[in-house]
Amino acid sequence: MRLKIKTQFLWSKVLALLLVASLMGSCGVSNLVIEGSFPTPNINKIPLSMAIFYDDALREFSYMEYSETGREEINIESGESHIRLFNAVLPAMFEEVIEIEGMDDPIIQEVDAVFSPTIEEFQLALPEKTKLDVYEVWIKYNMRIVDRSGNSLADWVVTSYGKTPTATFLSVEDGINEAAIVALRDLASSFSLNFSQIPEVQDWLNTL
Amino acid sequence: MIRVRPVYFSMKIISKLKASIGCIIATLGVSCTSTTVDEFRQGATSIEGDESVVILGRRQASDFETKSDFVECVGERMGEGENAISVIPEREFIDAMFPWFEPRTAPLRAGDLEQLLAEDVVAQKMNEFGIKYMVWVEGFTETTGRTGSISCTVGPGGGGCFGFGTWEDDANFDARVWDVTSLKNVGTINTDATGQSYLPALVVPIPLIARVETNACNRLAAQLKDFVNGE
Repeated sequence: MRLKIKTQFLWSKVLALLLVASLMGSCGVSNLVIEGSFPTPNINKIPLSMAIFYDDALREFSYMEYSETGREEINIESGESHIRLFNAVLPAMFEEVIEIEGMDDPIIQEVDAVFSPTIEEFQLALPEKTKLDVYEVWIKYNMRIVDRSGNSLADWVVTSYGKTPTATFLSVEDGINEAAIVALRDLASSFSLNFSQIPEVQDWLNTL
Repeated sequence: MIRVRPVYFSMKIISKLKASIGCIIATLGVSCTSTTVDEFRQGATSIEGDESVVILGRRQASDFETKSDFVECVGERMGEGENAISVIPEREFIDAMFPWFEPRTAPLRAGDLEQLLAEDVVAQKMNEFGIKYMVWVEGFTETTGRTGSISCTVGPGGGGCFGFGTWEDDANFDARVWDVTSLKNVGTINTDATGQSYLPALVVPIPLIARVETNACNRLAAQLKDFVNGE
């Protein structure tokens, strides 16, 4: 009888510890690195040699989602996934693509132009806040193309959007990841299909 | 004495289990689903053995999106049994056609296919897949009428739940069939499945779920299969 009471007491201590540990865990910031693969676009190549420059702001881009009380909730790192996306899309768009480490790279003299994308804004909408059964991600980009001397050839804004439905066994992190991948694919589709229709790009292509 | 007690205990459990199973079966009879299928044909259809169909989910709406699980289910059912049809998996098709079938770039009308097929790369991929019909599925499952409550307690000596919950599910899906050769919408099939789900809890919650989405999937797939085969 005494042994039974002792065992029950031990179990209640273990349960209490687990409860405290889970509560403490839920108070911390969860870190999410966007993971996913991107297919190569099926489009006709533009006969151009393009250098691509990813600045540190893009490489290390992260977004912090805050709770309604202002507490840091989820840190979303999407820099690497953006680079993977551009590395899949650009070789399908242009005849030659060379990645450069900086705007002073001598290889710039051998290409037609330098492309440099930046993220201007990242927005997230969670079902618990919107009361909709979808996770949503919006990303606003600034696309810039400069010539060999660094003069601007084209500068335009692209917005992308992605959403994914909530599901019984889908975690918040997985929901955000899937919505972000849809947004990145949306960027790839609008960028690759509309590139030649941007008025500044059209003007530049006509001069070549 | 010590040997008798476990036997008596297990007998008691078995009799309780029998009663519970009886209750479950009785309640399962109540939580049934009713499904309605409407077909609207606008053109003649037929399919050869070397031709295939692709089933795609519509994802343009702002507040919902057609679940890929449902689209996959319809495709799998169409590819099974008598008069099975070769169905290209949605993800494989969308990735192979990237970026032409993304939510923002996918054609919204059958007539838009003409412009899309004018792109050599798209027409070539479409020929490689041997696609005769493109089926666009759009819809969702809505849960309404949630009533009841269940309370659960956990203590050092154990835990348990008590209460009763019920809700209604309504799965409504439209399937539009496009003929890739004539570039026309050849028909629309609508499936509406409704069912009441129950969640009684007497120590352990026993979910008795009305499988509305599965029923909608099975009925839509069967109807689509007959439609595409021209029956």
